[in-house]
Amino acid sequence: MEDKEFDLAQMEKETEEMLKINILDEKNTEFIRTKGGFLSIKTGDTSYPRVHAVRMFPFTDPDRYISIRTTGEKSKEIGIIEDMASLSKETAALIKEQLDLRYFTPVITGIKSIKDEYGYAYFDVMTDRGECRFAIHMGGSDVVHLSETRILITDIDENRFEIPDVLKLTATERKKLDLFL
Amino acid sequence: MEIKDIKPEEKKEILLPAALKKIVAELGGEKEEVLAFSPTDMNENGAYTDGYLVLTAGGLYTFASESEGKRVHSFKGFLNLKDREKNLERDWKCTRIDAGELKKLTIEPQVACGVLIAEFSDGVEKTVAVFSNLYRKEVHVLQRAFDRNFGEKPEEGKEEEGKEGKRPGPGGPGGHGGPGGPGGDKDEEIYCPKCGMMYPNPDRKVCPRCMDRKSVFIRTFGYFKPYRGLMILMFMIYVAVAGLNLVWPYLNGRVLYDYILEKNNDFLLSVGIKNGDFILALLMVILTMFAARFTVQILTVIQGVFTARIVSGVVRDIKKSIFETMGKLSISFFKNRQTGGLMTRVLRDAERVTGFFIDGFPYIFIHSFTLIATLVMMFSINWKMSLCAVILLPGAFVFSFIMRPKMWTAFGHRHRAERTLNSRVNDNLTGARVVKAFGQEAREEERFRSVNVRLKDSEMSIVGVWNFIYFTFNFTYSIATTLIWILGVYLILVEKKMEFGVLVTFIGYVDQLNGPMNFASHIIRWWSDSMNAAQRMFEIIDAVPEIREDDDPVSMEKPKGEIELRNVTFGYEINRPVLKDISLKIPAGSMLGIVGRSGAGKTTLVNLISRMYDPQEGSILLDGIDIKHISFRDLRRNVAMVSQETYIFMGTIEENIAYANPKATKAEIIRAAKLASAHEFILRMPDGYNTVVGSSGRELSGGERQRISIARAILANPKILILDEATASVDTETERAIQAAINYLVKDRTTISIAHRLSTLRDADFLCVLDNGEITEKGTHKELEELHGTYYKLMELQTKALALKE
Repeated sequence: MEDKEFDLAQMEKETEEMLKINILDEKNTEFIRTKGGFLSIKTGDTSYPRVHAVRMFPFTDPDRYISIRTTGEKSKEIGIIEDMASLSKETAALIKEQLDLRYFTPVITGIKSIKDEYGYAYFDVMTDRGECRFAIHMGGSDVVHLSETRILITDIDENRFEIPDVLKLTATERKKLDLFL
Repeated sequence: MEIKDIKPEEKKEILLPAALKKIVAELGGEKEEVLAFSPTDMNENGAYTDGYLVLTAGGLYTFASESEGKRVHSFKGFLNLKDREKNLERDWKCTRIDAGELKKLTIEPQVACGVLIAEFSDGVEKTVAVFSNLYRKEVHVLQRAFDRNFGEKPEEGKEEEGKEGKRPGPGGPGGHGGPGGPGGDKDEEIYCPKCGMMYPNPDRKVCPRCMDRKSVFIRTFGYFKPYRGLMILMFMIYVAVAGLNLVWPYLNGRVLYDYILEKNNDFLLSVGIKNGDFILALLMVILTMFAARFTVQILTVIQGVFTARIVSGVVRDIKKSIFETMGKLSISFFKNRQTGGLMTRVLRDAERVTGFFIDGFPYIFIHSFTLIATLVMMFSINWKMSLCAVILLPGAFVFSFIMRPKMWTAFGHRHRAERTLNSRVNDNLTGARVVKAFGQEAREEERFRSVNVRLKDSEMSIVGVWNFIYFTFNFTYSIATTLIWILGVYLILVEKKMEFGVLVTFIGYVDQLNGPMNFASHIIRWWSDSMNAAQRMFEIIDAVPEIREDDDPVSMEKPKGEIELRNVTFGYEINRPVLKDISLKIPAGSMLGIVGRSGAGKTTLVNLISRMYDPQEGSILLDGIDIKHISFRDLRRNVAMVSQETYIFMGTIEENIAYANPKATKAEIIRAAKLASAHEFILRMPDGYNTVVGSSGRELSGGERQRISIARAILANPKILILDEATASVDTETERAIQAAINYLVKDRTTISIAHRLSTLRDADFLCVLDNGEITEKGTHKELEELHGTYYKLMELQTKALALKE
């Protein structure tokens, strides 16, 4: 609860903090693995028992600009890691582990079949996580071109699959994908 | 088949599959009541592997499969009920977490999967399950079951009534079980009874696997039923034309060359002409030939008129039924689709659907008729030459059949390109102001150009494929003709077994063959195009609105206007609740003010009251009756909303104000406009109330539009008035005027008003503060002020901001 006196100065301070970009590195922050395998940090005087790592540019710059945030629905940014490469190997691995789960996206390595039927397209593909069969809506924008050759596919339940480079597929496979190219 | 056998009466009991039950029993949980269970499909390393979660009154059991990600992972649309049952029989690694050790279960949604995290009583947090979005609903149900049974805040105990599934089942409101595990009554509904596959869209119980294109065809054919008479007439014309066409080569070849020019007297006698009068015979042949051609022409014209009548009628009917379904669909349907795509469907697809039925379907009979008749004639004249003519045909047919999928893809391509183009144009025109303001015309042109080129390319590829087919047919035809000429000339000159006229007639018949062959090459294209469009069309027509009227709705002529929300939980996606367990009672005739930061769920809350969406849990009652049971007509008539998105339709101001009540008198319209402070600015326009506004008419400012929507709501005269930031874009002075009008308006009405500006809510009887989907503060102005909470903070902030301004 607030103090009886309304503190405008306090609010302004909060706003200012919100506007500041807080860079985190291993000099000012300690990155710790919790007992349950989560990421925890200690920066300045504050400890955060569990934090999230979020990519700002998940498609175009996945290893730079990582936002470290508090958990929960009112998640707030604690600070930003500018470049994963500047971190020590252990720390980078710890954060990478969090990111990998967060951005879990099987990579499609081969296409067995794609059928277009009555408003849905049925994919049977090989991924780096094994064979996957899923269906997408034809009506929406479930196949997104991240670049000329990179494709992100979102299934009916919003599971994601990625084709990092269409040109790496065989000609027959590309033909099956033809409708979406 | 435990999962399936559940009966509505056993609604409370959740039946655990036997394989899991056994393991739970082994771990000592035999007597514990099962609260929920859910499959999972991933592990922490991001590998796909089977798993289960079982929540009982005693604790949480996690099942993990020993083997990792070797199997095929099937998502919705592929998932099979039988496979799922089979999957239960295997070696499970099962752990039990005692309910006493568990403090909290939270789901953390990731970008494309979810993690269930348990907090233990010693404060340690651990991941207990990872699952793809396929199972997020089920895990979510389990997590909520945990909250209900072990959660920290057992609020207002009585939640019996509200705890139904998302929708009342066919058995009525009291029917089906709680939000149980994956089993329960819903299973049969989400799996196709024929093949056991999970419906890609549970709201549209059509299994794309089990429905084939034939039925698309038959359904489309249904639209032609009202035109049966005309169709039969047309069919008769086709037959007549085909018959007349057969006469032509005969007259032109055999009769002309072999009988008349060869001066065959027997022939003259057989048609009853005086011996030797070849001039008359010639004249008659020419006349008959002319008459045949002329009749064909006339019939073609008549057929053209019929075609136009049928096509335009059917296109109109199809458009109408698409538009009608679209109107019935819930808001969420439109949120998921591009406007451009929907426009293509209404405008273009309807025409494409009919294409095949008019240009293709009737001709199938005609051309088969022509083909058979011609072949009979040909073979009766000379079988050797006939064989030459047809020997290549089967090859061409097989070839075009092979090309069919290619055509299908090409049409799908074009549809997508067209849709993108439409969306781009729509986007650009709507955002014209922004484009101009930032001087981005050139870039927009470039963006447009690229999609435009794509459309062109896709059209080209259709033409390309088709040309290929066309070429093959033509080539076959040319070869056949050449062969016949060679053979014919050989027969006439060398073997002297044939007369010249017979050859001419024969060539004429080969020409006749050209029609059906050409048609066969076209038909592939028409069929693909038409069925492709029809399929998209039925996708819309079959869509079942998420919000449906009760089968036997309660009519409510004059409600008192008391609104009650009971434990309402709602999210646009099930795992991201926007409103959490909201309970609220608004007495009839009072005014409730809702404040809260943007994204707190205020608009969502009022959307639920007007039933744009249905809550996932809990219920909303109007005068004690669940709004799900109230007829749409009565509910919408009694609830009017002035929202932050004002929309002005094409038409006059008068029509816009009278939108909800077209029978309103002029005096009533003027009164409503006056109350909404719109009267003055309307009169400043040269055409007054007859000014045409909307997309093609006069531009209105944000404040003006808002005032017109307020007038619209006033005229609707609802028992419940919802003002969602209704005065956000008017200046303070006008707001005061509208405020006065609203004060007048709220009399005898239940009003819910959402506002950022607290001054708007001055007259509210009581207020509530919504934060993150929960009501954090509730009470009168005075109570909230004394609470020194968020409301107080906001108030101070706004008075200080005002003080700065002045």
